[in-house]
Amino acid sequence: MVKTTFLLVDDDADDTALFEEVLEQVDPSIGFRVATNGQEALEMLRSDSEALPDIIFLDLNMPRMDGRQCLAELQQDDRLKQIPVIMYTTSSQPRDITQALQNGALCYITKPANLRDLEEIISVIAGNAHSGLTEALKRLSTSVPACIVS
Amino acid sequence: MILIVDDKQENLYSLKALLRLNLYEVDTAASGEEALKRILKNEYELIILDVQMPGMDGYEVAETITGYSRSKDIPIIFLSAVNIDKRFITKGYTSGGVDYVTKPFDPDILLLKVKTFTRLYRQTKELNDIRETLEQKVEERTRELVQANRELEISNGELQQYAFIASHDLQEPLRKIITFSRLVMERFIENIPDAYQYMNKVIMSAERMRNLINDLLSYSRLSDTPRFNSCNLNLVLQETMADLEVVVKEKEAVLHISELPMIEAIPDQMRQLFQNLISNALKFSRKDTAPMIKIWAELTDEPSFEGTTAPTGLYCRIYIADNGIGFDEMYLEKIFQMFQRLHGKGEYDGTGIGLTIVKKIIQQHNGLITAGSREGEGATFIMLLPVKQSVIVQTEPLG
Repeated sequence: MVKTTFLLVDDDADDTALFEEVLEQVDPSIGFRVATNGQEALEMLRSDSEALPDIIFLDLNMPRMDGRQCLAELQQDDRLKQIPVIMYTTSSQPRDITQALQNGALCYITKPANLRDLEEIISVIAGNAHSGLTEALKRLSTSVPACIVS
Repeated sequence: MILIVDDKQENLYSLKALLRLNLYEVDTAASGEEALKRILKNEYELIILDVQMPGMDGYEVAETITGYSRSKDIPIIFLSAVNIDKRFITKGYTSGGVDYVTKPFDPDILLLKVKTFTRLYRQTKELNDIRETLEQKVEERTRELVQANRELEISNGELQQYAFIASHDLQEPLRKIITFSRLVMERFIENIPDAYQYMNKVIMSAERMRNLINDLLSYSRLSDTPRFNSCNLNLVLQETMADLEVVVKEKEAVLHISELPMIEAIPDQMRQLFQNLISNALKFSRKDTAPMIKIWAELTDEPSFEGTTAPTGLYCRIYIADNGIGFDEMYLEKIFQMFQRLHGKGEYDGTGIGLTIVKKIIQQHNGLITAGSREGEGATFIMLLPVKQSVIVQTEPLG
């Protein structure tokens, strides 16, 4: 079985630590990489040293290059646009949500304040990373309000 | 001051004497050329002008005077002993004179003419001055208004910026307070009852603050330009009830919902309106009685809360009635104001923004809202909304 890898693009160290901790609990076999802004993520993905991640979790507000621009750059890159992007951010502004979903994000998740929600989100995504992710996210969105699909 | 223009010294002298005697200030010029020079230098209220002069004659002088913007309004009386023919008189008027006096003249009548024309000149000048001042003031005010408008636009933009800051920068730390407090609660202090309780209070407070921020955000978003669509209120209400399902079950509430009409509205805002009003009805229920909520609507042609119904009416009245604790109607105005609460936080939680949002939504829809209640006997909220928003353009907006 191929090793699954998640890339989290987020400048918030607390959130990154929590995410990693929960991911560790859910499935320790999943690889975890972090970029602290859009620029760093693109550089990381464009250098061929490592295999591409299976899913990108993308924050919106970051220094240097924010999630909006990063999402747009990813969609313009024929190789990188294959990777599913899940927005993972504090903002719950309707404009941010519609914009991200229109611009190619698979799902929009408002960072939950509840670890149980985060556990559920990560385990659903981890369990369906290779097939049926869209359907799994749709089901998830009915039980976790923080998760929105188009 | 009056200017007399004549090439004959004796004429100048006698006229000057007459006018001085009647307390006019007088200046004289012995030729057309000299007259023009003086006019450029001094302010005159009237010019008495001889017609026949060597060099420039009276007509030429008059034409030049009326050509200058500075002197064009000064009245000119022609005075002539020689050119008394009709065609000369006509020429006098067309060259810019207001009167044509032939010699010999009656001094009393000339004086009356002088008096009339100088007074007319002064009055016209005063009016012009007032008009100019007014124009200046209007211009000034317009400039001030344009400036104030620009400042308003800027501060509006700043307010929207504030809404963004509220959504992100305020919620971010709050979310972390909740997340990490929960983490501590669940992992480290589950067996220390006091600490667990206190941590729970931290979380409750933080959640209350989060609700407050979300409510304020919803309120500030309402000021965006509204887009009305044909809206099926039954569907909107169904969605709202799905969101409230858990609370309804918990409270064992009974709802009676009648068929609602189609109206032109902003569906998202109507959902929020129902959500807030029904949540309130569920929240402010009596401790010993299960909540019973009735929702119904009627159409009417009268833009008022009372009056006969009409099946094809232009306005829609929506009623939401409950059997809860109600309120004293003396607080009717107050309940729609921001942060106004009739109960302590210990009794009923809430941010005090819910009904303010409802009122704003109703205003956005060019409608009216009121409520009827008595303490302990339930409350009924009545909303009056135009069925079509275009109706409002033709008639008076409500409220």
